[in-house]
Amino acid sequence: MHHHSSLNLVANDKDIKTPYYQPQGNEIALFEHAFQHQLPVLIKGPTGCGKSRFISFMAQRLGLALHTVACHDDLTAPDLVGRHLIAQQQTQWQDGPLTRAVREGGICYLDEVVEARKDTTVVIHPLTDDRRIMPIDRTGETLHAPDNFMLVVSYNPGYQNLLKGLKPSTRQRFICLTFDYLPAAAETQVVMQESDIDITTAEQLVSLANALRKLKDQDIEEGASTRLLVYTATLIKSGFDPVAACRAGMIEPLSDDADTLTGLMQLVHAVFDS
Amino acid sequence: MEERVGQYWHRFITRAAHNSFPKAKLELQQVKAPLGVFFRAMGGDAGLTISSCSATSHGARRSWLHRLAGTGQKVELAWRDERCLYLPHSLDVLPSQALNQDLYYWLAALATSGSLPADDWLQASQQATIKTLGAFPGLTGRYEQLVAAMLPMRPSLKSLSEAEKYQEKTIRQALCDPGSVTAGTFFDSTISPAPVYLWLHPSPPLATADLSTNEDSTVGLDEAKKIAQADERRRRGERVEMPDDKPGAPFGVRHETSLFTFAEYVKLDRSAEEDEDLSDAEKIADELDQMSLSQSQTSTTSRIKFDLDLPSAAADDLVLSEGIRYPEWDYSKQQLQADYCQLLPMLSRDAVACDLPEHLRKPCTILKRQFQQLAAFPRWHKGQFEGDRLDIEAYVDYWASLQQGQQPAEARLFSQKYPAARDLATLLLADLSLSTDAWINDEQQVIDVIRDSLYVFAESLKAAGDEFAIHGFSSCKPSHVRMHCIKNFSEVYNANIRGRIAAIKPGFYTRMGAAIRHASVLLGRQTEEKKLLLIITDGKPNDLDRYEGRYGIEDTRMAIVEARKQGLVPFCITIDSRANQYLPYLFGRQGYSWISSARQLPQKLPQLYLMLTQRLGQ
Repeated sequence: MHHHSSLNLVANDKDIKTPYYQPQGNEIALFEHAFQHQLPVLIKGPTGCGKSRFISFMAQRLGLALHTVACHDDLTAPDLVGRHLIAQQQTQWQDGPLTRAVREGGICYLDEVVEARKDTTVVIHPLTDDRRIMPIDRTGETLHAPDNFMLVVSYNPGYQNLLKGLKPSTRQRFICLTFDYLPAAAETQVVMQESDIDITTAEQLVSLANALRKLKDQDIEEGASTRLLVYTATLIKSGFDPVAACRAGMIEPLSDDADTLTGLMQLVHAVFDS
Repeated sequence: MEERVGQYWHRFITRAAHNSFPKAKLELQQVKAPLGVFFRAMGGDAGLTISSCSATSHGARRSWLHRLAGTGQKVELAWRDERCLYLPHSLDVLPSQALNQDLYYWLAALATSGSLPADDWLQASQQATIKTLGAFPGLTGRYEQLVAAMLPMRPSLKSLSEAEKYQEKTIRQALCDPGSVTAGTFFDSTISPAPVYLWLHPSPPLATADLSTNEDSTVGLDEAKKIAQADERRRRGERVEMPDDKPGAPFGVRHETSLFTFAEYVKLDRSAEEDEDLSDAEKIADELDQMSLSQSQTSTTSRIKFDLDLPSAAADDLVLSEGIRYPEWDYSKQQLQADYCQLLPMLSRDAVACDLPEHLRKPCTILKRQFQQLAAFPRWHKGQFEGDRLDIEAYVDYWASLQQGQQPAEARLFSQKYPAARDLATLLLADLSLSTDAWINDEQQVIDVIRDSLYVFAESLKAAGDEFAIHGFSSCKPSHVRMHCIKNFSEVYNANIRGRIAAIKPGFYTRMGAAIRHASVLLGRQTEEKKLLLIITDGKPNDLDRYEGRYGIEDTRMAIVEARKQGLVPFCITIDSRANQYLPYLFGRQGYSWISSARQLPQKLPQLYLMLTQRLGQ
């Protein structure tokens, strides 16, 4: 098993920059334990709270290749497993991202897994129990996942209106990590780190974001993500007017309702006006 | 002639005395929606609705013009209680609309810091100001502007007595430099200072009983629209026992500010008064400081009455079982009260099998055709033994297997288009409370529209072949929640069911939580993948007990949260024009639809159903 300590990583892989990651709790240790014992991991959390960043951080830390698949409405099992392609005079099998990860080892990360078609569960299930196998009907192969293969899926339980939940039979195959937005002080650090902005502005942005998050499910579908905060901070850092940057970066993305936008802009003024 | 002159004089002197800026007037209605978002984002309680308040006496010295005009005794100030944030109906105290708008936002921000302790208004107001400015420093500039604009509006020091002058100076200091006036500084004067628009109400008229005016519950919709705004003004209502037959005499109430006001009980036989006097009654209600309503008065059209119908046992519908107990959520204790409600499943006694009403036949024929097509929403199915198209992927796989010398699987090489069965069950829950008795226009009541909608809905879903059930509900206190079964999932929609739809009638109140819990149980038993719980209503949850107001809203919300946890999809369709004040809290922005004209409900319902099923991926 490849297992680098993080110190080694910094020393050896100068060309690959380890992404900045601000831990929320014990998730790093939990993830490492899960990896050592070949347990699949499910990550829940709202949009832009650092799920994907965490995975790429962990892949670096554990020295694993990362195969990310952004799931969407039309993603079917063959998109994960692979398909035959027609070449000159013959057909050729091409591995899908999941198959490649199982062959080569590493983390296969299915982002927003609930978006994918139902038939993908057929492929996921045998990989997530103790068999850790992947039967490929079309080529007649059965792959056995190597020790350094790890399946990670994520989803956002927040979109309550469309109700695309994960089935219990799938959900119960994973070790579950719940992510949320960071506490104010830690989030301020992240915003400063990512955008190079001064601490006062970062604090104002975070307090604005926390006010917006209170409106989730009632006035807006989702609160402002850490990602949006970083975008907004980047705009401000490059010299854009803070109030206008907030409108573009944090308010307009949240709603289309004119009254809601007016109310939210009043909030921005309450935070940023001098 | 004399009367005419009197009217002119009144108008002239009122205008002369009114120290306000009519051109800068801003109605609460204009800013209400964004203000609500702002209030919640500032940390305000999301369960509160924003409502306009009635004016209350301030008891301060009035200018000679005011005294001459007989105005200026009352002001509209902001306050909050457990279910509403009350803000002035309109603001024109500052010289520009922008300033008046800032004042609204300032008051909303100030109200997030909680309600004021009654004992020391001066201290509490300063503390609330400091707290608000501390949490949102961006407000500082605007607060200073507001103070600067407000100071010239304060009474001039010259005109005041020594004690009043001291008061006034203290207040100005507290406004300009919040926190600088220390505890213990206050006035022994018998006259209250001039109202401070930048602070919350010094002695908010909190409701003494958990009852409130059940306004406009039986008023026709058009009429209701006209009066809706005025009606929303919260009147200081309290309940009193019905006095004996003696003629009512006004009596003075000693106000805390030692001003004598004629607040109370005027014996009026409201039940005898009909429409022509209602506008007067409203005006009177606005002007009284405290309005008492007695329970025993029954009238048919009054907007300010309580309706008190009790179930008539004799001619009631068939009760199907002894009753099912459901819990109810008490938000003040934050806990479920087990077995609090008794729900009675009922079946209409006098339902007679019938055909579709004449006026619905044509629209239903069209809808049925549409739904048959949409139900048969065809899709391409891959991997078929035969079909209209070659399934290229399957074909390539097949040949690849052959060429690699493997025995290929079955030759399912075609795609075929055919209708997909929908895996969806819907339970329609209709509000049959007495408010549906209201008239929409000269011919139709709300209940008629609901009845037509049920017909149209049932006809459409039957054509589509979708699983559905229809129930109606009403209630009279927790012990009597009536659940009318119109169609079970297991029943086939036929003339008998149409008969039950024909027999629905309005009655009682809207205890929505228990009804939703029962509907969730029924719907939860279905095996379909997606389960839709459609609720049709015309107003807020209410009942005779404390269910009116916040308690009912919170219980309903909890019932919806439970339904969601169970995997159901609740969706509300309402014709209440004020739905945006409470439905987002219950169902979320995306979870309800408001139909502006009740008459359109029968047309809109099938459309909404289609939209929802598509959103559910069916």
